[in-house]
Amino acid sequence: MGKEKTKKGSGSKGLAGAISGGERPWIQVLAQMHDHTMILAEVPAKKFYYDANAIVDAMADVTGYYDFDMFNPFADLYNYEIEAMGAKMIYGENSMPTIDFREPLIKNPEDLTKLKAKEVDWRNDGRLPYVLGCIELSLEYGSNLGMFCSPFSMAVGMRSFPALIKDMRKRPQFAHELFTFITDDVLLPYLKVQNEVCDILIAVGADAWACVPNLSVKDMKEWVVPYNERLLEKAKKIGVMAMNVSGDYCEERLEKFDANVLHGCFDVEIASQGAPSLFLGMGRWQDYPLEPVLDYLAKYREQGINASIIATLNARLIRDGPVEKIISAVKRIIDAFAREHSVQFLFGNLPADAPSDHIHAGIAAVHTYGRYPIADNLDDIELKIPKRESFKEWKQKISKNQ
Amino acid sequence: MAVTNTLKELENAILEGEDDLAQSLAQKALEENIQPLNIVNEGIIPGIEEAGELWKKNEYFLPDVVMSAEAFKMAMEIIEPHLTAGEFGATGKVVIGTVAGDMHTLGKIIVIVMLRSAGFEVIDVGEDVSIATFIEKVKELKPNILGLGCYMTTTMLDMKDIIKKLQENGLRNSVKVMVGGVPTSQEFSDEIGADAWGKDAVDAAEKAKKLMEVS
Repeated sequence: MGKEKTKKGSGSKGLAGAISGGERPWIQVLAQMHDHTMILAEVPAKKFYYDANAIVDAMADVTGYYDFDMFNPFADLYNYEIEAMGAKMIYGENSMPTIDFREPLIKNPEDLTKLKAKEVDWRNDGRLPYVLGCIELSLEYGSNLGMFCSPFSMAVGMRSFPALIKDMRKRPQFAHELFTFITDDVLLPYLKVQNEVCDILIAVGADAWACVPNLSVKDMKEWVVPYNERLLEKAKKIGVMAMNVSGDYCEERLEKFDANVLHGCFDVEIASQGAPSLFLGMGRWQDYPLEPVLDYLAKYREQGINASIIATLNARLIRDGPVEKIISAVKRIIDAFAREHSVQFLFGNLPADAPSDHIHAGIAAVHTYGRYPIADNLDDIELKIPKRESFKEWKQKISKNQ
Repeated sequence: MAVTNTLKELENAILEGEDDLAQSLAQKALEENIQPLNIVNEGIIPGIEEAGELWKKNEYFLPDVVMSAEAFKMAMEIIEPHLTAGEFGATGKVVIGTVAGDMHTLGKIIVIVMLRSAGFEVIDVGEDVSIATFIEKVKELKPNILGLGCYMTTTMLDMKDIIKKLQENGLRNSVKVMVGGVPTSQEFSDEIGADAWGKDAVDAAEKAKKLMEVS
């Protein structure tokens, strides 16, 4: 499926489609894959992270090459707003621009006062035209999702994590002032522009900093959820549903896995999104026990709510393999959840050098084991992993066919 | 008794992440004529080690560890000028930095504290560090361990080139290489020929000690 064949209506409309059974006859899969795409499509970083046409075209090609079901044209989302406000950045030769935490935008509380007085053009400053361009161009591929950096992660970007934690513990009044500023004076006007320029109705907020073990559930309920809910509420009034992806459970040490902490994370996720959807995100979901997730889902079912699941295939697993382990991880998730719940797969932050064979195998596993209706016994299904050409060969083939 | 109390209070201040209090208690301990090395070994290090233990038990989360690390740094700022050369940091010398194009500061800050509490001398060469600078620093400072951090999968690829350059410069056998950061893994570490991978700061310090054959 080339970019010219990428389905219209497979973006945010497709998200709803996947949750209700999908337009294609299997569980839908999308990827966060900016670094991988840049390397695979051989686009220089100085173009890829600055030129909306370059990134969207490359993302569309790579989406087509792997046969992802949904189009996600975005790079990491943690920099744009604060870059537009004047944050110092590192512009690497071969990598995505990143915040220079050595010189944070708000070095001391007085800087917040100065920032409040600053006029920011939410259409034109920094690389915002690039982001708006990505959203506009991706409409062509059926996606109409807006994107932003959630309040907590943006506060980290402005202050650095240690300084923000110190604010929360020792200067709570200032910390609340900062979060209120981010929600009301940064994100709302920015979402308004996305809505006006790109007609987006749903926007997704990235919040990788607000996860376990970066924060405890108690911290998230005190500092993350209230501002996510505030944003949800206020954005609704300008016609945008601003869903924050906060509360991810990312415990690296398996011996520390704790079902109660996980359930607390789910509470945070649901409150932050304003929808009963569980995000099995960037953690080691190939290794975590799944029973605690089923327990949590059962609690919702008792209330007549069938929560949906976005299940991530771990980035390091995709990179490191082996293929058998990737397939097993996909199969385990489908077997545990997909008969009773709507499931969508996300291939999380595909590493730059992830072998294409690993990605093809993961997608084949989702499309095969995830074919509706989900089989009673997945072991009865034969998985055939297609022998695929390289990306370059595929591109040549597509060009010839045009 | 008063001496014991001050060190115990210092340990608690570090454990609780009370940086200003830790600094003033470190000063108080000096004024009570407690040997600087004893202040480190009986007050400062037990506090940060306990924070690491609570992290392993799921009782401490990153903010708690960060605050303890800040308190550790503040207390050490007071004590370090009073330590005799070579008295502290005898476990080994570590040069640590974040690879070019990358800004992985937080993990590095905590790793440095954990390494120092494990008795390492740590030289932080900063963030966004070029391959050439890492090689120069290894030549110049002759560390036992070179620590490399990153958070992006593009910049992570530099780690392989750094190890290659160490080999080309005849330095690989004289230095152990440790890698860490969100996108890294044991498999990646093995693949690029590093000597160890730190899954988190506590793990990094434990593995660094193993590399130095210190229990």
